[in-house]
Amino acid sequence: MFQISPQLGSQLVDLCAALLLLTCFAIVAQRRLSACVDLFALQSVFLAATAALVAFLTGIHHIYVAAALTVVIKAVVLPRILKKVIERLNVSRELQMNINVPAGLLVCGTLVILAFYITQPIIPLGFLLTRDSLAIALAIILIGFFTMIARKKAVTQVVGFLVMENGLFLGATAAAYGMPLIVELGVFFDVLVAGLIIGIYTHRIQDAFDSVDTSKLTVLKE
Amino acid sequence: MLQSLALVVAQVILFLVVSPFIVGVIRKVKARLQCRRGASLFQPYADLAKLFRKQPVVSTTTSWIFTATPYILFASTLAAGLLVPAFASQMPLNFAGNIIALVYLLALGTFFLILVGLDAGSAFGGMGSSREAIVASLTEPAMIMSIFAIALTAGSTNLSTIVHKTALLEGIVTDPSPHLMALAALFIVALAETGRVPVDNPATHLELTMIHEAMVLEYSGRYLALVEWAAGMKLLVFLTLIANVFAPWGIATSLTPAAIGIGLAVYLVKVSGLAVLIGVIESMFAKLRLFRVSEFLGVAFILALLALVFFYILRG
Repeated sequence: MFQISPQLGSQLVDLCAALLLLTCFAIVAQRRLSACVDLFALQSVFLAATAALVAFLTGIHHIYVAAALTVVIKAVVLPRILKKVIERLNVSRELQMNINVPAGLLVCGTLVILAFYITQPIIPLGFLLTRDSLAIALAIILIGFFTMIARKKAVTQVVGFLVMENGLFLGATAAAYGMPLIVELGVFFDVLVAGLIIGIYTHRIQDAFDSVDTSKLTVLKE
Repeated sequence: MLQSLALVVAQVILFLVVSPFIVGVIRKVKARLQCRRGASLFQPYADLAKLFRKQPVVSTTTSWIFTATPYILFASTLAAGLLVPAFASQMPLNFAGNIIALVYLLALGTFFLILVGLDAGSAFGGMGSSREAIVASLTEPAMIMSIFAIALTAGSTNLSTIVHKTALLEGIVTDPSPHLMALAALFIVALAETGRVPVDNPATHLELTMIHEAMVLEYSGRYLALVEWAAGMKLLVFLTLIANVFAPWGIATSLTPAAIGIGLAVYLVKVSGLAVLIGVIESMFAKLRLFRVSEFLGVAFILALLALVFFYILRG
């Protein structure tokens, strides 16, 4: 087995985390629904790579299991479910948003700075390999949350929710070298079920309102 | 003295010779991805040679700007190329200008191209000029900021110093996240500035949406050859900048023949690799609507801004 110096290892983890953040910005700027889902799948692959790297550097084996589950559930199964939903919906892109793309990008930039500013006093206190990853994790959670607010279509709101979940997973890996395996399994199961339920629920919205625009849900219908 | 002179001449020849090849590589990759055999990699050289032999036609309504611009564009782009270290990290001309000079040498060429589009008074040219002005004004802040982010980590605005220090991993706080952000921003800027697919389509003269081709529509003969050669060199300047600022490893840090040989080989592999990547991107994506270009370049701007801010937050 070859060894990587902790300095280099921590830089590699930061690099993977920064890739996750980059895909977040791509999701915020992307209007096509299927491309948003593809970007989410890509982000999940980067997340799995980060987790595998942390597992390798720390020698904690159960993180490998979490990384493998991330690939299977978040990069393969959930994108497939969402793609099916999009296929049935007959909408390929999102033209109306609550906050338009250029303004959304500026807001996301501010959120990232905020996340770094908040976590900066905490990071030097720890001796973890994953220095900047905690800040990036917080930034991803905030951006995911923002995506849910800014978008109107149910599908992109689901993607925002899943991005938030990715951020939480990254945060758990970065701050605590992963949660106990049983908790992680539970979370994965929850996410999968949530994805399924939201998928079916989106169909129901489409059937009832002839649209997946969630802003129409405020109107009462007989 | 003689050695520095030789280095400069070598880089001039390198840029002149390699730039049509890079254009050829991109066309070849696109052709192969479209299941065509495509023209030879050396077709751009033949095109240039043909154009240089043809007689240029100049409209009677144009001013001196029309005939002067190809030379200004060619010279400013070549001068910009000399400021970027290509195969050796210490360029003798590095006293002459830093990254700010590089950005504005390229902007000088763009400015004259915009004037030329208006000069002939054709509707197409004017449209191309106004679009180019939009794109240029949006790319400039993103480009400046992404380059500043790198300059801050290296502690110098001199490109030779930046590349040299990064290649030797000496005295640089290597922080991947700002570097990655700046790289993504600069790559988007490179696509927009050189008129590549998500922003402009270099493969057609027959589209209402064209930008660069609309401005140079009036050119023919040797003027067109110079403009096209300059466009190829601008692309090469950007690819060199991306390759050597973000991954300078392999570049000759000393001036021994062996190091320069390796540096040259590594450089050619790196820029060809980037050219293949651009060819793949051009095949994968459709051109954006003009009004969506600002969003695309907005991403570059935000990423560059973040790269710059990260430096202060992480090191502040």
